Amino acid sequence: MESLLTWLETQLADNSIFTLQTLSHYGAGLTTTVQLVFLSLIIGLIAAVPLAIGRGSRHAWIKWPIFAYTYVFRGTPLLIQLYLIYYGVVFVDGIQETWLWVILEDPFVPALIAFTLNTAAYTTEIFRGAIKSTSKGEIEAARAYGMSPRLTMRRIIIPSAFRRALPAYGNEVIFMLHASAIASVVTIMDLTGAARFVYARYYAPFEAFLFVAAIYLCLTFAILYFFRHLEKKLLAHLQPQTG
Amino acid sequence: MAATPIPLEVRNIKKRFGDTEVLKGLSLQANKGDVITLIGASGSGKSTFLRCMNLLEQPDEGDLYVHGEEVRFKTTRRGREPADWKQVVQMRAKLSMVFQSFNLWAHMTLLENIIEAPIHVLGKPKKEAIEHARALLERVGLTARADAYPAQMSGGQQQRGAIARALAMDPEVMLFDEPTSALDPELVGDVLKVMHGLAEEGRTMVVVTHEMSFARDVSSQVIYLHEGMVEEAGPPEEMIGNPQSPRLQQFLAPKY
Amino acid sequence: MLDLHGYGPRLLEGAGVTLQLALLSLLLAVVLGLITASAKMSRNWFAHRIATLYTTVIRGVPDLVLMMLLFFGGQIGVNMITDWLYYQFDIDIFININEFIAGVVTIGLIFGAYMGETFRGAFMAVDNGQIEAGKAYGMSNSLVFRRVRFPQMMRHALPGLSNNWMVLLKTTALVSVIGLSDMVRVASEASKATREPFTFMIVVAIIYLLIASVSEWLFARLQKRYNIGYGEAD
Repeated sequence: MESLLTWLETQLADNSIFTLQTLSHYGAGLTTTVQLVFLSLIIGLIAAVPLAIGRGSRHAWIKWPIFAYTYVFRGTPLLIQLYLIYYGVVFVDGIQETWLWVILEDPFVPALIAFTLNTAAYTTEIFRGAIKSTSKGEIEAARAYGMSPRLTMRRIIIPSAFRRALPAYGNEVIFMLHASAIASVVTIMDLTGAARFVYARYYAPFEAFLFVAAIYLCLTFAILYFFRHLEKKLLAHLQPQTG
Repeated sequence: MAATPIPLEVRNIKKRFGDTEVLKGLSLQANKGDVITLIGASGSGKSTFLRCMNLLEQPDEGDLYVHGEEVRFKTTRRGREPADWKQVVQMRAKLSMVFQSFNLWAHMTLLENIIEAPIHVLGKPKKEAIEHARALLERVGLTARADAYPAQMSGGQQQRGAIARALAMDPEVMLFDEPTSALDPELVGDVLKVMHGLAEEGRTMVVVTHEMSFARDVSSQVIYLHEGMVEEAGPPEEMIGNPQSPRLQQFLAPKY
Repeated sequence: MLDLHGYGPRLLEGAGVTLQLALLSLLLAVVLGLITASAKMSRNWFAHRIATLYTTVIRGVPDLVLMMLLFFGGQIGVNMITDWLYYQFDIDIFININEFIAGVVTIGLIFGAYMGETFRGAFMAVDNGQIEAGKAYGMSNSLVFRRVRFPQMMRHALPGLSNNWMVLLKTTALVSVIGLSDMVRVASEASKATREPFTFMIVVAIIYLLIASVSEWLFARLQKRYNIGYGEAD
């Protein structure tokens, strides 16, 4: 470890921008970005499953509020949602004196809430589409074999819809990674925040932003690769066997 | 009275889609070991009739008895529907259906398809269900394809797999909805052979089909439907060998 | 009633900026998309490579990062070129990149990549037999394109186009970050000044939803027109 650091230091000695210090900024930014994206995706995914089922409910009082939620969150910019939640929290009278402020002072929490609400809305619609496209014949077979609607949902519709939603969900994950860049707007030191810091400090836009662009590109490829692998495994059943 | 109840009996089934009445009061009684074939031109209502028997379609009128037990109905704003869905679920588990387009669950292997309902509907232990499934696969000649997904099998294999899935429920009555209509001609034979075997071992079956050879050789009773009514019914020798109604004569006449 | 604390006119102005920005970027994106699609389908190895590189990089990097790169880096880049022109050829020009142009160029560049994919898919979806039929009747290549391929291509391209437009519209919000006074910028300034974020953000959200709903309706009408001859299906 020690020798690696000294090696890095000599390598970086002749450039003034990518010092160990700025690199550690980028490193911290990467951690923040990954945490933010990963947490919001996980929570959003968990919320989206019941929401997608409710979206197809026969009862208007379940169906319409969910529809309104996804319509609004998919129809407006994430930046607005972030502002609304961030400023909304900051400007609540007297909030800075309460114990809640300990958690809310860090812009990470409002950002996480905004991102989660946003991805949950998109994911809900992705699942909704997948559930709706379940083969009528397969549902009918389940009914004909005495499965209750609940059991049919759990055993037949959800597992097959999950698989069919995979490619679209992969896009959503990449979309969230890219969208998370706006966290830097509310002073979060994510990857983009780190790049903005380096830019402001050295007035070197190409170095600062090209470097971070390369990191995002690598992350995007990693996600793409992961989902392609997952699709190969989970969507094998849709591929006719040759020979 | 008889010690064993009648497996399936329907009386005076009527069904309307919008303004058109597609079933105009149809009845049928399937005793143990009966093989009843429903024939008729497309649009005669034979598939709808079959689908009314396990309530995939809701009949507007008529009574339904499965294993001697009457299915109860109630009338709601939406029309007539079963009074107790739990009863329907139990009753469907006694009748298993084989579909024209197989309807195997695409995300499960063939073996998983077969054990799915026995485990989750009948509550069979998994080990037992798998053993039973393997025996059934052998019976329909698909032992080697147990772990294949439906999309990886030919139509004939899928349909034989679907029959194994139906058998795994130990059904009182098997309902076949044009099981060979979606198959390439060279694949029909294998499926018919399996069905033939089932009839021989005394399974109670109701079959909607266009295969006249099957109707003639296997069934105990043939019912010819025309525009939602029974035009003629009887044992196959009489129905196919010596049809009475002009419509049935024309229906059976060689097409070329 | 809703009290906008006198920010009403500025918000409206901001909405105008948002719309102009969105429409101009859309125009640029469509042009770039058509070029990219043709490049990707051409037999020219170099054009194909360049187009692939363009779409891959653009789709792999966040919009905001690209925007900052272009906006902050663009000025320096342009300055470097003008300096070089001055020292080499004694040409003295000064080009100042303003936020609006930077916004249009970035958003156009980003969505050009997405449009490229949309158009490529639409091009390929048109049945080759019909193109051949056109040629067989002596129609020239450009005539075949104009009369047979383009109208049918639009039918396949419209859903993707409409989708891209909706995303583009929302992306315009990002220009507020680089200092352009679109409606998001106005709303965020007003929120800070009045400490009433809900009022302003919700007004802006409603305007976005309004624009989106109107566009949705327009696209549905267009789709109907291009669907002629294809019945009710898709």
